Amino acid sequence: MAKTKIVGVGEFAVSKDPEEVIKTFALGSCVAVIFLHKPTRTVGLIHVALPESSISPEIVRDRPGYFADTGIHAILQKMAAIAMPPGSLAQGMVVKIAGGANVMDTNNTFNIGKRNVLALKKILWPLGMGPVTEDVGGNISRTVSVSVGTGKIVLSSPTKGEWEI
Amino acid sequence: MNRQEKEIAVRQAIKNVPLISSAVARLLELSGESEHGIAEIVNIVKYDAVLTAQILKVVNSAAFARKAEVYSIDHAVSLLGEDMVVGIAMSEAAGLLFDKKLEGYAAEAGSLWRHDLKTAIAAKIIAGHARTEVNGDLAFTCGLLHDLGKGVVSDFLKKTPQKIQQAMEQKKFPDYAAAERAILGLDHAEAGYELSLNWNLPAPLPQAIRFHHQPALADEALKPLVYTIHLADIVAMMSGVGTGSDALQYLLDTAYESYIALSSDELAAVMLGVEQEYSKVAGVFWGKEEEAPECA
Ligand SMILES: [Fe+2]
Ligand SMILES: [Fe+2]
Repeated sequence: MAKTKIVGVGEFAVSKDPEEVIKTFALGSCVAVIFLHKPTRTVGLIHVALPESSISPEIVRDRPGYFADTGIHAILQKMAAIAMPPGSLAQGMVVKIAGGANVMDTNNTFNIGKRNVLALKKILWPLGMGPVTEDVGGNISRTVSVSVGTGKIVLSSPTKGEWEI
Repeated sequence: MNRQEKEIAVRQAIKNVPLISSAVARLLELSGESEHGIAEIVNIVKYDAVLTAQILKVVNSAAFARKAEVYSIDHAVSLLGEDMVVGIAMSEAAGLLFDKKLEGYAAEAGSLWRHDLKTAIAAKIIAGHARTEVNGDLAFTCGLLHDLGKGVVSDFLKKTPQKIQQAMEQKKFPDYAAAERAILGLDHAEAGYELSLNWNLPAPLPQAIRFHHQPALADEALKPLVYTIHLADIVAMMSGVGTGSDALQYLLDTAYESYIALSSDELAAVMLGVEQEYSKVAGVFWGKEEEAPECA
């Protein structure tokens, strides 16, 4: 049986253990960013809730992963420490994202899912880690799990069953 | 069964739901009144043995980590606060509706209760952003009750979640409630409204339940409250705590802007506040060690 590591909202996990599965539940407008560092077989997953940390500097200390801007830097720091890549972390890194859903007929204020996705991409692109695959938007709540050993990412929702990205 | 027969069966099922105790009804009524103190709450609770026992159990649970055992109901109610007491009362009174597995929404047991609790917490916070005053405790109670009807209609929606999902993708219905109406002749909001009338819930609870997906249809005077519940429901769904197959499959009525003032940053702060409060309260109801099946 694979060991499962659950990632809550605003949390992240990094693992090098091929037996491990990293999982996060019901994303809603939140976004999961999955980092697959091929050369060192290290996997990271972060569950981001909001685009910008400026609304609550206090939370940043406890849970930098809540926000796109602080979260990406926090998880990449941890990945670098665990993966210890010979060169730059961006080399051989594959990034995929999922989530960022919305209710129907949303407006700009309530479009947090979309703003999360945009904020994340703006941070990832300059790092040379733009997402190669995305399963975002729409009106469904996604659950994500990643097998560290294989890098296989499975999404699921209550009515759509399971699918891979 | 055709749609008419289904509608008759649903309406009969609503009539068959057991009534809530007079203590719970009185608590709900009280929470809607602007002038009331904790002493009145204690007075209602202490004459209901089951409720008293449950409240003492919660206050002495691990989540509160109190050094000394709490034996007095006065002390317990003041420690928990009004919202928690109403929440405990509702989970006791309508546990059968809240806690059961909802096949009609592809939802595990407890999913609806989590969604209702999160909506209640969001409603209280959003009430603070209403352009005219909305009572936060009343908003909390409405949030707790808004989807009660799902507990009834779910039994008649078995085997529909996949079909509705497909129909929604083909844009055959404007939202999930419309799909329910097409199948049953009424949606969960109306079922909850009928139930609230049977239970003699005080105004404005029935209207808040009835129009939470169609707030524009509420009486003008109640719109600030009804839009508060409408948005709170959406905030709960966005945070990943919907009920099941219907999560996020509802429309945002942007006319809320006339009643509730929320900038993007304020909404983000609301979501953060809801998350923090929910993780505190969820610990009380489910204990920290239990793994919630949904995020947040
Ligand atoms: Fe609803
Ligand atoms: Fe709801």
